[in-house]
Amino acid sequence: MKVKVISRSTDEFTRERSQDLQRVFRNFDPSLRTQEKAVEYVRALNAAKLDKIFARPFIGAMDGHRDSIKCMAKNPNYLKAIFSGSDDGDIRLWDLASRRTVCRFPGQQGAVQGLTVSTDGSVLVSCGSDCTVRLWNVPDANLADLDSLSDNSAKPLAVYVWKNAFRAVDHQWDGELFATAGAQVDIWNHNRSQPVNTFDWGTDTTISVRFNPGEPNVLATSANDRSITLYDLRMSSPARKVIMRTKTNSIAWNPMEPMNFTAANEDCNCYSYDARKLDEAKCVHKDHVSAVMDIDFSPTGREFVTGSYDRTVRIFQYIGGHSQEVYHTKRMQRVFCVKYSCDGSYVISGSDDTNLRLWKAKASEQLGVVLPREKKKQEYLEAVKNRYKHLPEVKRIVRHRHLPKPIYKAANLRRTMIEAERRKEQRRKAHSAPGSIVTESIRKRRIIKEVE
Amino acid sequence: MADKKRKERAGGGGSRTNKKLEKNSNSKGLTKNNKNKTDMRKKRTGPHLPSALRTELDRLNNRISSNSDDEIDSDVGNDVYEYEEEVPQEESRKNRRFDPVENYEYELPEDFEDEDVSSDDDVDNDNFDDGGNKGTQNEDVDGSDGVEEEDDERHLRMLQGITGMSSDAFERKKKKNNVVISEAHPESEYNPTRDVLEGDGHITVQDLLGPIQGKPGYSKLRKRVQHMDRKSTSIQAPLPKADREKLERMAVYEHSKKDITKWEHLVKRNREAPTIFFGEDVDLGFSTVGAIASEFEPRSEFEKKIATLVYDEKVMEAHKADGSKLLELNKISAEDYMKHRAHIAKMRSLLFHHEMKRKRIKKIKSKTYHRLKNKDKAKAASVEMLMDPEAAKEQARKQEFKRAEERMTLKHKNKSKWARRILERGLNTQDEGTRAAMAEQLNHHALLTRKINTVKGSSSSSSSDSSSDEDEEGSDQDRASELLERAKEKTLKVLEDDEEMSNSGVLSLPFMVRGMKKRREVAIDEAKLALQEYEQLEGTDGAVNSKSATASGRRVFGMTKNEDPESNNKTKTDNNNNKMKMDNYYGNSDSEDDLEAKENLNIEGGRKNDVDSNSVKEAADVHQDSVFKNFDDIVRDPGSKSTYEVAIFASDSWRKMKSGNGVDTNVKKSQDVKEPIVHDQDLEEGEEESDSDSEGQMMDGVLSSGPKESYKLPSQSELIRHAFAGDDVEEEFEKDKQEILNEENPEPDKPVLLPGWGQWTHVQQKEGLPSWMLKAHDDAKRKREEILKKRKDAHLKHVIISEKLDKKAEKLQTKTLPYPFTSKELFEQSMRMPIGSESNPETAIRALNRPEVVKKPGVIIKPIKFEEVHGHEKSEDHKRSGQKRKTNRIKGAVGKNKKQ
Repeated sequence: MKVKVISRSTDEFTRERSQDLQRVFRNFDPSLRTQEKAVEYVRALNAAKLDKIFARPFIGAMDGHRDSIKCMAKNPNYLKAIFSGSDDGDIRLWDLASRRTVCRFPGQQGAVQGLTVSTDGSVLVSCGSDCTVRLWNVPDANLADLDSLSDNSAKPLAVYVWKNAFRAVDHQWDGELFATAGAQVDIWNHNRSQPVNTFDWGTDTTISVRFNPGEPNVLATSANDRSITLYDLRMSSPARKVIMRTKTNSIAWNPMEPMNFTAANEDCNCYSYDARKLDEAKCVHKDHVSAVMDIDFSPTGREFVTGSYDRTVRIFQYIGGHSQEVYHTKRMQRVFCVKYSCDGSYVISGSDDTNLRLWKAKASEQLGVVLPREKKKQEYLEAVKNRYKHLPEVKRIVRHRHLPKPIYKAANLRRTMIEAERRKEQRRKAHSAPGSIVTESIRKRRIIKEVE
Repeated sequence: MADKKRKERAGGGGSRTNKKLEKNSNSKGLTKNNKNKTDMRKKRTGPHLPSALRTELDRLNNRISSNSDDEIDSDVGNDVYEYEEEVPQEESRKNRRFDPVENYEYELPEDFEDEDVSSDDDVDNDNFDDGGNKGTQNEDVDGSDGVEEEDDERHLRMLQGITGMSSDAFERKKKKNNVVISEAHPESEYNPTRDVLEGDGHITVQDLLGPIQGKPGYSKLRKRVQHMDRKSTSIQAPLPKADREKLERMAVYEHSKKDITKWEHLVKRNREAPTIFFGEDVDLGFSTVGAIASEFEPRSEFEKKIATLVYDEKVMEAHKADGSKLLELNKISAEDYMKHRAHIAKMRSLLFHHEMKRKRIKKIKSKTYHRLKNKDKAKAASVEMLMDPEAAKEQARKQEFKRAEERMTLKHKNKSKWARRILERGLNTQDEGTRAAMAEQLNHHALLTRKINTVKGSSSSSSSDSSSDEDEEGSDQDRASELLERAKEKTLKVLEDDEEMSNSGVLSLPFMVRGMKKRREVAIDEAKLALQEYEQLEGTDGAVNSKSATASGRRVFGMTKNEDPESNNKTKTDNNNNKMKMDNYYGNSDSEDDLEAKENLNIEGGRKNDVDSNSVKEAADVHQDSVFKNFDDIVRDPGSKSTYEVAIFASDSWRKMKSGNGVDTNVKKSQDVKEPIVHDQDLEEGEEESDSDSEGQMMDGVLSSGPKESYKLPSQSELIRHAFAGDDVEEEFEKDKQEILNEENPEPDKPVLLPGWGQWTHVQQKEGLPSWMLKAHDDAKRKREEILKKRKDAHLKHVIISEKLDKKAEKLQTKTLPYPFTSKELFEQSMRMPIGSESNPETAIRALNRPEVVKKPGVIIKPIKFEEVHGHEKSEDHKRSGQKRKTNRIKGAVGKNKKQ
């Protein structure tokens, strides 16, 4: 009699160590597993549901300021540190891990309007409505850790008094310069008490300034005259201005795509622009129901976070029309500033209620050490979810978010208004001579003109 | 606009030279010069003329300068701006720039055009520019001289020839330059325009150079001046600040745009990459406990103390020495180790297999198996007994003990409560199992009681003859009878073997069977004879045997079949045959085990003789099946036999032959002996027969139902009509369709009149259903009809197209094509293959499941750095796995040059 056996070499099946996993050989013939697709669909569905269950984005609040937080700055060189400035002139350095104030920087009179840190993380620059620019020495991270118990305060390295109040400040990436915004845009050097350069185009106050991290000599500002202006320091001249229908509150450059930036607008939307083609926004990110106050890109360049006057923080895809996350708590008031952490896994928001809040960038992400097999599994579930995200059930679960009632209602109202506007235009178009009324896409509609 | 203006201006300069050639040549140049001086600050930008024209103008200017050396110009031709001291406004003509107009007597030219005046600004500019000339056209006066006309024409032609421009352009210039300006103010040193206009008394560089002629450095200076003159061009006034800045911004933006475009390929690559990696090059520090431990430094005092102890030299040395010794002890050659391991593995596997075997055996519940096993054991024990005297003694002692016990207790003599009860009830009424059990008990008892003698005898005979006389007698008798029995047994066995042989593979062929039968018959005859002889011998022996015979006879309680009273030996053969039959019945005659078992049985049967055979026969009887009985009946009953033969005849010829043989044997042999043989054949034949019988009936049926030779095949349609004579398919289909329609779009319920609802009952009785109800019903009906009309199968009479939505399937479909996909096929393909580890090899999974962004938590991600990407590298990049790409990127980042 013939006995058929599977011949296997011992070498292939002997484990080198006792901890090694046993080798499993499978037959991957798809005809043997006809139900695999269905199985994966169910897995995707379950993964989506589990994501919802595990979505606990809020990590903690950092309390300490006495007034609403106006601005924040992250240390590009040290992950755990975040600086915050409030309306009463208080500047604090927080340790995100322990969620405590590590250091205070007293001296600013009146509201702190802008904070920024040099790329090496050694100098903090603050400016405010008291017409001063102050440079501070950032305490050493390890030292700060050690004696964080005593609430130590630092003294300014330098104080530069200037002619007008400041509204914003930003530091150049990998350079010595920083820019302040106010009545005009000033470019400063660390070591000089007066600006090395001043740009003045138009009469209105500039309210935000942001350097391009990829192209350190390019910066963008937004002003009260509803304009966004680009500057080039190499030619020491402004380059181009685009005027929109509403004011832009803040600008963020995409750190991975130096030609693209996103503007947080008063009209509840964010507009992504290509700096080379300003006649049209590349993408309009809708979802907020009130003015967007601040915006910050994730260092990966794939997401950005926005804080809005409607008391929510939202996270958008860099090319997505709608937000993928919305964060809110009962106690969080108007959000004035948001930052993405330097590793792209946390989001910090500062709001009117004098608190900083720490959020996870991915709501259902598992914190802490993830074992390789766990990671593999999570990756698989993510991939499966991503694959079936277009199917209605999965889509519904993935998209679903609970919203506070006022925001929900406001969103509905907004939708109604937009719909009404659209209908009106449609009718107007229908009742006028063909071709006389042209519908402009929303990407163009909000732009008045591009000024050379 | 600006360009045009500039052109005009330049053209003006050009035509001015012509004028100069004609009459007051020098004055013009100087005028211009002065004007330039005064208005320099106002407007001077780089000329934006078409290059062809510009070169032409340059040429002309050079010519002028060579003619008139009076132009003081900027030293560097490229410089756009030139700072010169501001002339006070009152000195310049700015304050009365409109004055000269009044003093004119002029007439408009016939071809006057106002095209150049577009804005106030422009007018101003023009005024500033050509203030001396009063350059706007409406101020031009043509009434100067006719002589000039021809010259102008000639000049115009020449210009046209050189530049290839239309005459208009030059004409205008010419007109512009026909300027006559009269000064309202008296001539003064502050008012040089007067001089300019009149062409007198102006100072040239030459004049200034004159006095210093011969001084050191004069020639140098003169050369420079000449050089400057040769190279000089007309310098434009700067644009207003707003415009200038605008232009500047445009330039900056263009530059910046161009610069930023260099990122495009990087951005594109990142966007197109299925995965981007961040922070792959960052070393996160220690990864193992050992690495962390090696970095440990004692800090506290206690730790330090411990460290001093642990790292003490002596201790270390001792440890080292000790450790090496220990290791030496451990030394073992690889071969030895392998051998040892192989040995252990072998032993282990043996143990394991043995264990498994025991487990399996322990689990066997079959009684037969256990019985056989016990017998085997007994046999083995007996063999051992023979081999080993010690064991034999031991065994004998055991046996003795058992027998003594048996004699004392009579445990197996049907004395138990259970046995007594059964006997009370009558053994015949019991079922086979019980009877068998009873028989078994008795058997056991007999065995135990009888064997005393045999064992004793054997042992005594082997040892010595010193036993008692009676015993010897008995033993002799016993031995004789035993011998006889054995002989008998052997003959029986021969018989048996023969029959068994016939059942195996090749021997079961018909001719072999026949041959075998013949031989067997002969053998059986011989055996019978032998048996008879044995009987006779036994008969002479007398008591014991007869006793045993009687015992057997007494115990023949189940023998209902053997009706004929027969001789003892015949019974025995019969019994044996029955036994055989039983074996056949089990149908495993060809397997070795069964043969063995049979042998055992036979041996036992031989040994136990009658008793055993009886019991076995009973068992055989018990196991006889209805089939056998049937055939027994058939064989016995002559009438039935005839039918049987007929059936065989109908079925097959050779089979009939065989059966005939069987019959022959039947005839030849005694009924009982031949019976089992017949059974064997009958078994097959019976099966065959049943088949053939049914065939025959079928044949009959066909024959009876089939028509005669005149039968004609009916046509297909006829057949169908015949087949479906009873039912109307179309109507059924209609009904089905209607049903499905109703199911998918149910018919609206008829309005029901509820007495007292909606209206008073008497009103209801009078008016019937309320109108709205009827209307609603009608509406619903109409709606339904519309829907039915819209159905795809509305016009298809024989088709039902279901439009029912499968809700479960709907969940698995998208209503529209999702965004990034351009076609349905692409979308479907995107989720065609599963990506899990169950259906993909480990190597593929990693790539399939990799997320879009791979980053390490806690690693700071820096903004993008510029790197050059070469064509071939890029293509490689796409092919390579992510790991490779990472390294590549890092390298690129290191090698990149910083932006300015």
